[in-house]
Amino acid sequence: MKELTREVEIKNKLGLHARPAARLVQVANRFSSDIMVKSGDDEVNAKSIMGILMLAAAQGSRLKVRVRGQDAEPALDAIVSLVENKFEEE
Amino acid sequence: MKIKGLTINDFYEGMKEKLRLRLVAGAPGLRNRIPFSELAQPGLIFCGYSRHFASGRGQVMGKNAIGYLRGLDPKLRRERIRLLLEQKVPFCVVTGNILPPPELLEEADRIEIPVFRSSLASGQIIDLGAAFLEGMCSPQVTYNANLMEVFGVGVLIQGKSGVGKSECALNLVARGHRLVSDDIVYIRKFRGGYLQGEAPELGRFHMEIRGLGIINVQNLFGAGCVRQRKRIDMAVTLEAWASDKEYERLGLDESRTELLKVKIPHLLIPVRPGRNLDLLIETAALNYRIKMMGLNPAQEFDRIVREKIQSKSGSSFR
Repeated sequence: MKELTREVEIKNKLGLHARPAARLVQVANRFSSDIMVKSGDDEVNAKSIMGILMLAAAQGSRLKVRVRGQDAEPALDAIVSLVENKFEEE
Repeated sequence: MKIKGLTINDFYEGMKEKLRLRLVAGAPGLRNRIPFSELAQPGLIFCGYSRHFASGRGQVMGKNAIGYLRGLDPKLRRERIRLLLEQKVPFCVVTGNILPPPELLEEADRIEIPVFRSSLASGQIIDLGAAFLEGMCSPQVTYNANLMEVFGVGVLIQGKSGVGKSECALNLVARGHRLVSDDIVYIRKFRGGYLQGEAPELGRFHMEIRGLGIINVQNLFGAGCVRQRKRIDMAVTLEAWASDKEYERLGLDESRTELLKVKIPHLLIPVRPGRNLDLLIETAALNYRIKMMGLNPAQEFDRIVREKIQSKSGSSFR
């Protein structure tokens, strides 16, 4: 099974607060792959809202997205583009 | 407001506890209809002036009116009482635990106009009584849903047939909550935009459980587990889990539903084997209560996360 990783930077001003976190989880849940997100030393499941919130990732911090599964490629693209587009927030 | 179809007995049955009403005269008149929702005080009619009297209203008499009547000589007193009762008065309430004059009781018995006594003050009787009468005549809809009282919160449980509404209600009853109605709820809008639900009289407190048949919840679980009517505070819709549908995850935005043009908080709860629906509804009711107390757990949590983020990213917030 394929495993892909990519790093992406949080660009939106308020960081990964509840709304962007919910959007990230929403997008992650559209894919069957296992998706993990790492910030600092913490790595959490991207399909768990509480996990993502625990990261409390601020603007400028880097997330390492690790995807493993059938639809790994589109999943990684979707997550990365969501973060890069500032969660369609601002 | 002109009202239709409501008898004095409906008023008595509906409000006797809340208004502490005791019927003291004119019982046969209970079957008569109430033409207007307002309640009034007799005022100048006891002085003999009846020209601009608003007829057709329930009359509320306290210390003032009864005190004045007591001061009249018995013959005149009877005459003035008769003058009042002739104005198509549907019923009278003597308030403040005052003893009604015997002439009032005799005349009321004769013309068959119910007289009630109450320990409440006139103001309360007028306000609550009129609100009730108005509510009873306001639009009513019939809803296919269950109504439960959960931790004091009126929860309307909606959902397609077979999704498990009744089983969920039964579970809640077994956990000590109260059933108002299973399957059919009459919903009415009262003054101030609040909704009240009750069961149809026929089949009240009965439930149909697939595989068991019809059960009587009051007999099985006791009087503490049922309630005749209840204000509807929130609605919950049970729905078979759709894997492609996105359900609420945060609770930051309060979704609402509209019933009789009143907006109430609404939750869509996906059903799937292994999900404990009664526990979810209990928790939703508690969450509603805590929000009513001014706390919003989702907002509070978001605030904590934002604070944490800010403390980490000093540079962008300096």
